[in-house]
Amino acid sequence: MTARRGKKRREGNAWLSRVLAVGVFVFLLAPFAALFFATDWADFHFAQGDLGAIRTSLLYSGLAVLLAVLAGTPLAWWLARGHWRGKWVLDALLMLPLLTPPLALGILLSSFYGPYSPVGSVFSQAGIYLTNTAPAFILAQIYGAMPYYIIAARAAFEGVPRELEQISRTLGRNRLQTFWQVTLPLARIGLSAGVALAWVRAMGEFGIVLIVAYFPQGIPVKLWVNLQDIGLDAVYPLLWIFFLVAVPLPLWIGLRARRQTQALF
Amino acid sequence: MNQAPAALDLRCQLTQPVALDLRLQVRGFTVLLGVSGAGKTSLLQAIAGLLPARVSPFGDLPVEQRPIGYLPQGYALFPHLRAWENVAFPLPRSARRQTEALALLQRVGLKELAERFPAELSGGQKQRVALARALARKPQLLLLDEPTSALDMATRDEVLDELIREVHAFGIPLLAVSHDPHLAMLADHMAILREGRIVQEGPPVEVFARPHHQTTARLLGFRNFLSGHVDAQENAILRVAGAGWQLQAESRSSLPMGTPVQLTWRAEDLFLEEASGLPCPNRLVVRVRASRAEGLSTRIYLEGPAPLEMLLSRQQAEAAQINPGSLLKVCVQPRHVQIMIEEVSS
Repeated sequence: MTARRGKKRREGNAWLSRVLAVGVFVFLLAPFAALFFATDWADFHFAQGDLGAIRTSLLYSGLAVLLAVLAGTPLAWWLARGHWRGKWVLDALLMLPLLTPPLALGILLSSFYGPYSPVGSVFSQAGIYLTNTAPAFILAQIYGAMPYYIIAARAAFEGVPRELEQISRTLGRNRLQTFWQVTLPLARIGLSAGVALAWVRAMGEFGIVLIVAYFPQGIPVKLWVNLQDIGLDAVYPLLWIFFLVAVPLPLWIGLRARRQTQALF
Repeated sequence: MNQAPAALDLRCQLTQPVALDLRLQVRGFTVLLGVSGAGKTSLLQAIAGLLPARVSPFGDLPVEQRPIGYLPQGYALFPHLRAWENVAFPLPRSARRQTEALALLQRVGLKELAERFPAELSGGQKQRVALARALARKPQLLLLDEPTSALDMATRDEVLDELIREVHAFGIPLLAVSHDPHLAMLADHMAILREGRIVQEGPPVEVFARPHHQTTARLLGFRNFLSGHVDAQENAILRVAGAGWQLQAESRSSLPMGTPVQLTWRAEDLFLEEASGLPCPNRLVVRVRASRAEGLSTRIYLEGPAPLEMLLSRQQAEAAQINPGSLLKVCVQPRHVQIMIEEVSS
């Protein structure tokens, strides 16, 4: 009798959790479905400058992610493997750009790299202007993306068993060879996730870019401009393109990472 | 296949994470026994160059140049590489790299599993791949950390026999650290690590027969200890007395009267006087505290001059009808009683 009641309760709980799961799923994806229905498919066309915005976003986001990865990887490795007193201070400081609202960060960048700041004037003298230019755009994207990459990469490096790196050393490989042949391949899933995250952050960066590099317009700023100047209908085609170019990479990396994790361990 | 086992004299001084200062002969397959936390793993890591220490030989070389093969617990195979790629890891990049790796895998009997990833191998297979990988560097010394810990009981002996055979065939001195006395029994040479030093060293047959300290005896599986003093000596028989008991032990050396000593013997060497029909020069009257089945044997916990243990076969235990609280007369032969000089602190 009690056993039957217990079984019923378990079945009821399983049913409830399934309904909840479906509910959350629908809640998350419903706005995307709405985009499908809101789009005027019969009159699907881009506004003037949309293609340029796509090109700007793709090219500069790629560059920004590349620079973030090149500069962020050594720092992430150092944070993951280094042990020294006061390391927590550095950890906390690294969180600062992550926790700062993008608009505020944009203002900070503008004050620091702007034409009237000491740093900005040094760059200006070298012919690099860090306001409303391609370098400014890339700089804004790096600030938006790199902290996320560093945190993901650091976790990826921390996940590599130190023992495997030590064994590599006892097998005749020096530190650099060990990094390339053991650490990097074993951290690649986490690093890929970091790259994907950085890509999405760079592509979608709006707040910092709006302040520092309104021009050249990338997709997010162009979406805003279209919405202001033309209206909601002019936003949808560009939005579709944004999803098509920004989402597949992280989605592919995510799925691949899941498969490889299952195969490895 | 090889004449005398390959030998090497090791010296290691380490301060962190444990203090160690020891000299050790590695002859053929050598086992260093020590309790958990004695610093066994740290010693191997220091010899391999992974911990800062004063080590000889090879101590002046950076870790990647030491001709040492190190197999940690769990073997640390690279999970992203296939078995043959793991073995090929230390080999220089060349056209013959794969061929050499496969030849090594063949020597450890695993060529057919060359394409498998470590996650697809059993504990014993992983160990052999790790051994082949360590051998690929042509080391002058092999270090094994608890080689039996990742193996199940069913395959343990088989894997160990094979490992020892391979090590002898390759002719490289091997130092294994362990807390497992069964592993030490299979060794060419063994040593006991205690409080950062080697307290006993020699062929297993000697060390197992004559442990010098209680800690050594415990590590080797001795469970019965009685503290007393030398009462008399007649030829090779030493009489030792304690509070309410007197026992005889065979002794090769003479000890002055009154010397405080500790007697020890194995649980297997204690027997029931009535059931045996053997002469019983060493009789103890004890009370049964508890008993526990241990595979096909029964371990009986006794209260006597000190807590004692007796291991009987299942038939003996059933025939004797042993119940908690009952009194028993138990015996141990003088030749099975080991004498140790009483330790100041244990």
